[in-house]
This record gives sequence, C-alpha cells and structure tokens, in this order.
Amino acid sequence: MKLKYLLLSLLFVFTLFGNVAVANEHEGATAFKTQKELIAQEKATYKAKSVTGLIESFFQTTGLNAIVNPVKGLKNAHGIEISTFAQSWGRVIMFIIIFILFYLAIAKGFEPLLLLPIAFGGLLANIPVADMAAPGHMLGIIYDMGIRNEFFPLLIFMGVGAMTDFGPLLANPKTALLGGAAQFGIFGSLVGAAALSQYTGIVDFTLKQCSAISIIGGADGPTSIFIASALAPEMLGAIAVAAYSYMALVPVIQPPIMRALTTKQERQIVMKTSRKVNKIEKLIFPLVVIMMIALVLPDAAPLMGSFAFGNFAKESGVVDRLSNEMQNSLINIVTIFLGFGVGMTLQADKFLVAESLGIMIIGLLAFAAGTAAGVLMAKVMNKFSKEPINPLIGAAGVSAVPMAARVASKVGSEEKPGNILLMHAMGPNVAGVIGSAVAAGVLLSIFK
Amino acid sequence: MDIDLVGESLKFMVLGMAIVFAFLFVLVQIVKLQALIINKYFPEKAPEAAQPSADVAQEAHHVAAIVAAITEFRKQS
Repeated sequence: MKLKYLLLSLLFVFTLFGNVAVANEHEGATAFKTQKELIAQEKATYKAKSVTGLIESFFQTTGLNAIVNPVKGLKNAHGIEISTFAQSWGRVIMFIIIFILFYLAIAKGFEPLLLLPIAFGGLLANIPVADMAAPGHMLGIIYDMGIRNEFFPLLIFMGVGAMTDFGPLLANPKTALLGGAAQFGIFGSLVGAAALSQYTGIVDFTLKQCSAISIIGGADGPTSIFIASALAPEMLGAIAVAAYSYMALVPVIQPPIMRALTTKQERQIVMKTSRKVNKIEKLIFPLVVIMMIALVLPDAAPLMGSFAFGNFAKESGVVDRLSNEMQNSLINIVTIFLGFGVGMTLQADKFLVAESLGIMIIGLLAFAAGTAAGVLMAKVMNKFSKEPINPLIGAAGVSAVPMAARVASKVGSEEKPGNILLMHAMGPNVAGVIGSAVAAGVLLSIFK
Repeated sequence: MDIDLVGESLKFMVLGMAIVFAFLFVLVQIVKLQALIINKYFPEKAPEAAQPSADVAQEAHHVAAIVAAITEFRKQS
C-alpha cells in the first residue's frame, strides 16, 4: 500500500513539473529534427579531427549528453515536439518509475508476467538517441505489428478462452448476472471520468478518452488494451499499467469493500454444491455466446470470437494440440510482444502528464465500484433466491480471472473455516469476462 | 466545452448496463434451456457415468483434503 502511495505521489509531483515544462516549450522552436537526424547531420561531412575533437564528437552521441543537454524543439518520430523536460528529467523520472515497476513485479509479485515486459519495454523506449520507439525500429515494429491494430489482445483472449472452464457458470447460470452487475465499475467510472474532466480543471478528457479509461473497471487486461488502442491510443501505456497494477492489487482493494457491505451472517452463508455439468453443455456454450454476439453486438465479435474459439477448441477435446498451443506457447509469445508494445507508450513525453494521474485515480475508483456493485447485486439475489447465495461471490464479478474468485473464497473461509466458495465464485468470475467484453462492444459501437 | 460530458456519460451508462444485463439474462435463459434439453435427450451414458462418478467422489475427497491443507497453511502464514 505504501508503495502505491509513493508511486502516486511521485507521479503527482512530476506531472506538475511536466506541465511547467509544457508551458515553456514554445519559447524557442528552432531545430525540428529527431535526435538521430541531428547527429547524422553533424556527421554527414567528415572532416579530419584531432583526438579531443573525436572524443567531443563521441560525447555528442551519448545518451548522457542527450539527457544533460536537451535540445529545444526536438521532435519525436511522429513529428510531435518533445519538451526539454521530457528529454532530460522526464527520462530520469521514467527510469525511476520503471525501476519501481520492476520492484513491484519481482519482489511484490504484481502480475509479473505482464508488468515485467511492459516495464522493460518502457525502459528501452526511454533510451535517448536510440529512438527505439520510432516506426521501423524494434519497439515501433512490435507496436505497429499488433498493438496499433488491436491484434495482440485478441490472441491473448484466445489463450484465455482455452484456459477458461465454464463448468461452474453452467452449473449455476444465474450467477452470471453478478458478472453483469460488476460492469458498473466500467460505466460508473465513465461518469466519474467525465465529471472529473468537466468540473475540475486538472484533466481534460474527451468522451472517447473517458470510455477508454473506464474500461479499466472491467478488470480485464486484454480488453483494456483492445479498447484503449481503439479509442485513445495516446493513453494506452497509462491505462495498461493501471489495469494490470490494480488487477494485482485485487486482494488488497476488494476485501475491505466486501466486508463493509455485508454482515457477518451473510459472509458465513454456505452454498449448495453445484451439479455436474454435461460435456455437451460445455461444448455448446461458446457457440451460444458467439451466436448471441453475432446477432446482438457484432462490435464485440473480435474479442468474443477469439475467446469462444479458444474455449471451443478446448472443450471439443479433439484438437488438444491446438488448445495446448493457445494456452502455452502462443499466449507466452504474444505476452512478450504485448508487454514490449505497451511499454513503448511509457515514454516520458507521453506518460508524464496530468492525465496519467487521473487515469490512476479513476482506475482505482472503477475497481471499487465494480466490486461494490457485484456484492450488492449478490445481496439482492440472496434475498429473492430459493437457494442461498453468499454475497461475497458477487465481488468475483469483476473479471480478473481467477484472482477475484480466489479472493472471494479466501474472505469466505476466513469467516467460516471450511466454507469453500471458489467454484461458486468462478461462475460470476468467467461471466465477468463476457460482461466486460459486452461492455467493451457497447462502447465501441457508440463511437462508430 | 460543447457537449455535456457527464450527461452523455450517464446516457452511456444506462445503455451499457441495460445491454450487459439483457445479454447475460438471455444467456442465462438459453443456458438453462440447453441444460434441460441436453440432460433429457443426451444424458451422459450410464456405464461411463458410473465409472467417472467413482472418480469424481474420489476426486472430491482429494479436493477436500487439498483445500483443508491450504486453509491450514493460510492460517499458519
């Protein structure tokens, strides 16, 4: 927790500096060139040099020089001016933030599979002179290959589909509604983001940006990246980092909210053992989902299509080779690329802005709202249902598979040892994945 | 600012939550229906079912044992 505050306060302080730097950047715009071109220009005509001259010209090419002597009016690969602050202190701050991310990933176990490649991608993207994020350069290639066109998140979703077991959901279908309620996290924070932007002067989000930020509340990494690159690619880095950090913080964020909204008796409710699910039901389920998407919400078809394919391949039982590939090698390879591509957007000039702070705050709000809505919905369902429903499983409605379900089960067994809610919580949990994909589809359809 | 951001986003919220709930509600109904149909006409074959059920019972024992162990471990740590 302390670390999070540290991270937030760091961000806050430096966003202030960032604004000052932005304010100053218009003073003198002289050289409109990337760092590489600048050096190339100086070296174009080779003249005989003394040893000191050689050393001097070598120093010109070092990153140290680029950081210590920022050039006014320098442009990045996309022709947008980089402030001198982003060139010098900005990079230093980004290196510090990235080292904090490394620490969180390695020492604290915060979603290391994604935070580690993302942070390393960010480290590479902030190296001066090398311009690794420029189109045609390493990170740029990865970004153009699968992030700009929203391709990598879909491949990840395929693997997630192949890993998901819909058995618990099919055994107790009505718990799917909990996965719907938790999507209030998305839409509630959409209103929150809009209000923050309209009533305070701190940030100025457009509706598209608000929507892209609010999808963090879906607690689903690939969906967040998919929507962010479609609606607000300039905020991709901050949104992805917020989504994955908060997903890692689910065990910290959720339990207090769950306890605050339920009574001790409610938390001790024991749920009936679910029935055994027929294999054919599991096989048909992904087809039902994709047909519904086809009829109602084609905008969610890329996400749900790859998800349903992964699941169908797994449940069919005849293409284990493909299903294993999706669950292991494919998802691992894509994770590396996805991490680097997202990390690329952690460049000082893009990340160190007040908006990033807003995204962090709204993301946290979104997670809390989703959890609360899920728990409240479960309380209501418990009142009207014949079979008892433990309200704790409502919190698992935020996707974050399987972390949220585990948290629900853990809080439940703390209240009443031996009360295992895990399988019951998996129902709303996987429904949450469908719910957030549907919500994503709705947001995409609005902006078409 | 030309558009009322909050007003627009409230409308999005109504639309979004309505569609998410409607979608999942219909999905639940279809799943219930399909469970009825499938279990009536394609029940898992009896001889096959007998064999796995023993496995399942045993598995349940294993799961219970594992779960108990985990709870114990969590208590300690």
